[in-house]
Parts: sequence; C-alpha cells; structure tokens
Amino acid sequence: MRYLPYILKHLKRHWVRSLLTVLAMTFCIFVFCVLQSFLAALQRGLDSTNANRLVTRNAVSLVFNLPVTYKERIAGVPGVERVSAQNWFGGARKAGDFKDFFPNMAVEAEPFLEMSPEYILTEEQKRAWLENQTGCIIGPATAEKYGWKVGSTFQLESFIPPYRASKPFEFTISAIYATDDKQYPGTDKTIMFFHRKYLDEATGRHVGVGTFAIQIADKTQAGAICRTIDDLFENSERQTHTETEKQFLASFLSMAGNLALLLNWIGLAVIFVILLVTANTMSMAVRERRTEMGVLKTLGFSSGKVMGLVLAEAGLLGALGGAIGILFSSGMIKVLAMVPNVGPVVQGLGGLPGPVALTGFGLALGIGLIAGLAPAVAAYRASITDLLRHV
Amino acid sequence: MAMVEVRGVRKVYRRDTQAITVLDGLDLDVQEGEFLALMGPSGSGKTTLLNLIAGIDRPTAGSVNVAGTNVATLSEGALARWRSHNVGFIFQFYNLIPVLTAEENVALPLLLARLSRKERSERALTALKIVGLADRAKHSPRQLSGGQEQRVAIARAIVGDPKVLVADEPTGDLDAKSAEEILTLMDTLNRDFKKTIVMVTHDPRAAQRARRQLHLDKGVLQA
Repeated sequence: MRYLPYILKHLKRHWVRSLLTVLAMTFCIFVFCVLQSFLAALQRGLDSTNANRLVTRNAVSLVFNLPVTYKERIAGVPGVERVSAQNWFGGARKAGDFKDFFPNMAVEAEPFLEMSPEYILTEEQKRAWLENQTGCIIGPATAEKYGWKVGSTFQLESFIPPYRASKPFEFTISAIYATDDKQYPGTDKTIMFFHRKYLDEATGRHVGVGTFAIQIADKTQAGAICRTIDDLFENSERQTHTETEKQFLASFLSMAGNLALLLNWIGLAVIFVILLVTANTMSMAVRERRTEMGVLKTLGFSSGKVMGLVLAEAGLLGALGGAIGILFSSGMIKVLAMVPNVGPVVQGLGGLPGPVALTGFGLALGIGLIAGLAPAVAAYRASITDLLRHV
Repeated sequence: MAMVEVRGVRKVYRRDTQAITVLDGLDLDVQEGEFLALMGPSGSGKTTLLNLIAGIDRPTAGSVNVAGTNVATLSEGALARWRSHNVGFIFQFYNLIPVLTAEENVALPLLLARLSRKERSERALTALKIVGLADRAKHSPRQLSGGQEQRVAIARAIVGDPKVLVADEPTGDLDAKSAEEILTLMDTLNRDFKKTIVMVTHDPRAAQRARRQLHLDKGVLQA
C-alpha cells in the first residue's frame, strides 16, 4: 500500500493516455460481462429443465404441428407416465407487437400441472384454473409488470395464422404461480399458461399440437424412450423428433446459430485487442521511464521491486477499467431487463451474476498484468548502468 | 581500515566481440570522513570507478570494500539492500522523479525502510532543512531551479544517513553561483556530518573544494 500513491502519481503523469487505456479496458469488460450474462441467462434456462421430461415435435420443423392423435400412442410407450399437448401461442396484447410481449402457451392443464412442479400453485389455485376455461396462470414478473391481480382480465391476439380467431382471446387470471429459486433455479417468472381446449374452441377447429411434453418414470431410460417414440411414427406422414427438455431448449436456442460460440468469439476478439492496447501503453510508459528505474535501483530498490512496481501499475490500470466496466455492465443488465424482447431472458438473473462480475474483474486484472509483463521483465533485467545511460 | 578500499580492480566492457579495458589493476583507499575529488578526461574511467564504489556495477576482477563489505561478492538483492543503507548517489542531472514533490522525492529511499508515512515525511523534511529547502517541500521539480533540484537530490542522497556519498559531476549542469552553493553544501556534509564523499568532476574549481584530488587517465590513478 505504501507504493500506491507513487503508482497513482505515475498514472496521472499522462492522464489522457491512462484514461484512454482505462476506458478501453472498461469497454472490454463491459462487453464481456454483458455477453456472459446473456449466456448465463440462457444456461439458466437450460438448467431449469427437468431431466424426467421429454419433448416431441415435428421432425421437419417446430413450425409444423403434429396430430392430436399422437398423444394416445405416445402415452402407451413403456416408461411414459403422462403426456401434455401444448402450443406456443405467440399472443400479444396487439398482434405481433413484440415490444409489449410476454411468453404464453396453451397447455393441457391437468397433466401439465402434474409434470411441472416448478410452477407452484396451491390446490385451491389449481382448482380455480381448472374450473375456468378462459382462465390462465401467469408468472409473478408479468403480473407485477402490468399490475395484474387474480381476477384481472386481459386480451391477447396471436400473430400465428392458425391461432387467430375473429376476435382477440379474452383471459381471466386464475392464479399467479410462485417459484422456488433454490429447488427449481431458473424457473421462468414471466410465462402465462392457458387451456388448450380454449384455443380449439375459440378457433373453431383442431389446430394440432405444437409439442408434446412427456414425463417419464426413469431419466436413465430417456434415450431409449425417445427412439421408441420416434420409431412409432417413422412411417407416418408427420414424423417426430423426440429429445430431452434440455436438448430441446438448447436446439431451440441454436436456431439462431451457435450463439454461445459467437458470443465467446466476440468476447475473445475484444479481449485480445484490449490486451494489445494495454501492452502498448505499458511499453511506452516504461520506455519513457528507463532513467527513473535506474534511479530507483540506485536508491536500493531491488530489480524484483522495480518489476513489481511496473506490474502493479499495469494491474491497477486493469483493475480500474474492470471495476468501471462491471459497474456499467451491471447497469446495462438492469436496462436490458426492461427491453421487451430481451428482458424476459435476463430478468431471471436479477442483475449482473456474481461469477460473471468476478470473472470480468479477474480478466481485467489478468489483461493488465500480462500487458505489463514484458516491460516489467525488461526493467527487471536491465542493469543500472544501462538504464542510466538513457539520460 | 579505510572506508573505501579498492584492490586490483579490473573492469572490462564487451562491445560485440571487442573487449574494452576501462580499469586495469586499480588500487585506491578513501579514509572515513575524507572528501575526494576524482578528475580526468572523458573515457578515463572516473564514472566506472564511481559506479563500482557505489555498488551499481561489478568489477571484472579485484575487490571493492566499502564500509567493511566487499560489494563485488554480494547477490543482486543483497547489493540493493546494501546500497540503500550505505551509499547516497548524487547525479549530474539530478534525476528527480518529475511527478513527485520535493518531499516525496527525498522520501523515496525511505519507502524501503519500515517507517510510517509520518516518519518518512519528518525525515524527508529534516533532510530538506539541511539543504535549505524546507520551504519548497511541496514544490514539484518543474517549479525548482537547477541548483534547487540538485539540493533536493542531495537531500534524497543523505535522507537514509549513508556512510558514503558518491557524486558524479554534481555541478556539471549548473551555473557558477549554483555550483558554488552545491559545493558549499557538500563541504558542510563532509565537515559537519562527517560524510565520506567521492566526487567525480571535470571542473578544477570544484575539485579544489575536496580535501584530496586524484587524476585518472586511461584507467590509471595519478596523484
């Protein structure tokens, strides 16, 4: 600590250069933390999946539905405990208005509730929903966002043509489900579920099934059951693709390309550029101060101590940039949580995740130290007479 | 025993494949409390000898005993510690750290000692008082004249109370009046504070202020 004022005075010496380096580091850590938070949010979604649940969809694409009749055949497969047909409704208060959107899904309420313990409802709440065909259950985050309570009514209109009726769907909130982040981490707090039969009746036709959610008795049999189900429909007009809920969610996310890989590559590229910028700053700073380092050594500072001072200066640049970058990214995550399309993804994080902030800070410190290593070693190796010769 | 005892010192520099012998079998004794001026033309080996006495360079052969320690045998770390306790170095171009105030520059060697911030400050102010610049403690080197900068550099050299002061052309960058002030100050340090001083100079007037003058030519000492 006794050397800190000395190091700070040196950083102030060329304050514009120091400031620009800190800002570059800030930008790097900001980008890293925001991207990693986004990935953490996606991973959190994957972690919230249940290993005892499978999902069957159309083998060609999620866009195409499956016949309702498949349900009975899937339910008959050994090891399958229950099946719930469900459809992604894609409803918004104004059709296609994704700025004012929360996820919503039509499900078969009874099997859905049986196989989805992460959406916590009392028996009374369950009964209230089951008894009301236009009733729905809704996540606490969405209820809070719109100021809705049990009994509140609202309308949704889907942008998906088969799910569009002559007028918007009217819903009454039967219950606001609770979540338990310890037992079921990552549970979506924004989604709304309503009765599938309401979808059929309101559209006046059987719309088909988007996906079948399947609960199995033994998760170690998941692979075999997936194959058995898909074999059942191999010669059908609409073949199926069955996978675990985690695989389904992961493949759903990867429809936008390998997002994780892309985000990681962007992060790496930014880090590499900032490493070069900081290394350049430190090289310039040390080159300008060769005489000064010779003086320090003459006064009795050991080569190790001089090397330590250079590294501390570089580390401090990194730490400052890292700390500011973390502050900005923390603010950005809060802002993103309010953005309609991205918000639902990052809301569950409840701010910048601690491990991401720690990694970001460690990275900033690491970049600073690595950038300072070459000039520090040069200062360590140089003899006093060589250093003083630069007068 | 002499404060500085140089025996059979040889110093050879290598430039590519060429070996340049700067000092060859040099002997020198400097007694405790002595003020010695080393004179000689450029390239005669004055600064090399001074660097060997100050422990910032090592002889190719021979021994350099200063304050009872053969500095040629010390490890790099031990030599650094030895310098901080035993030698104060005064440079021709002062070499103050421009971002630090006069007081902070003087206190710089004390960062190596186990002293509180307050103790470091008190000792630095005492050293500045000795060189007559206590009122400039908070000034940066840029706000000082050349002579004042050199006095701050002298305060930095004496703040650790070293046994030996080595000065490499301490008046070489100063006008006549400032040079006179610096020489008077060095004289005071020698007489009143009993510091052993070895000074390299080109200036005969500066050399006259020392108790003894030696001439070095092509690595050989002449009385």
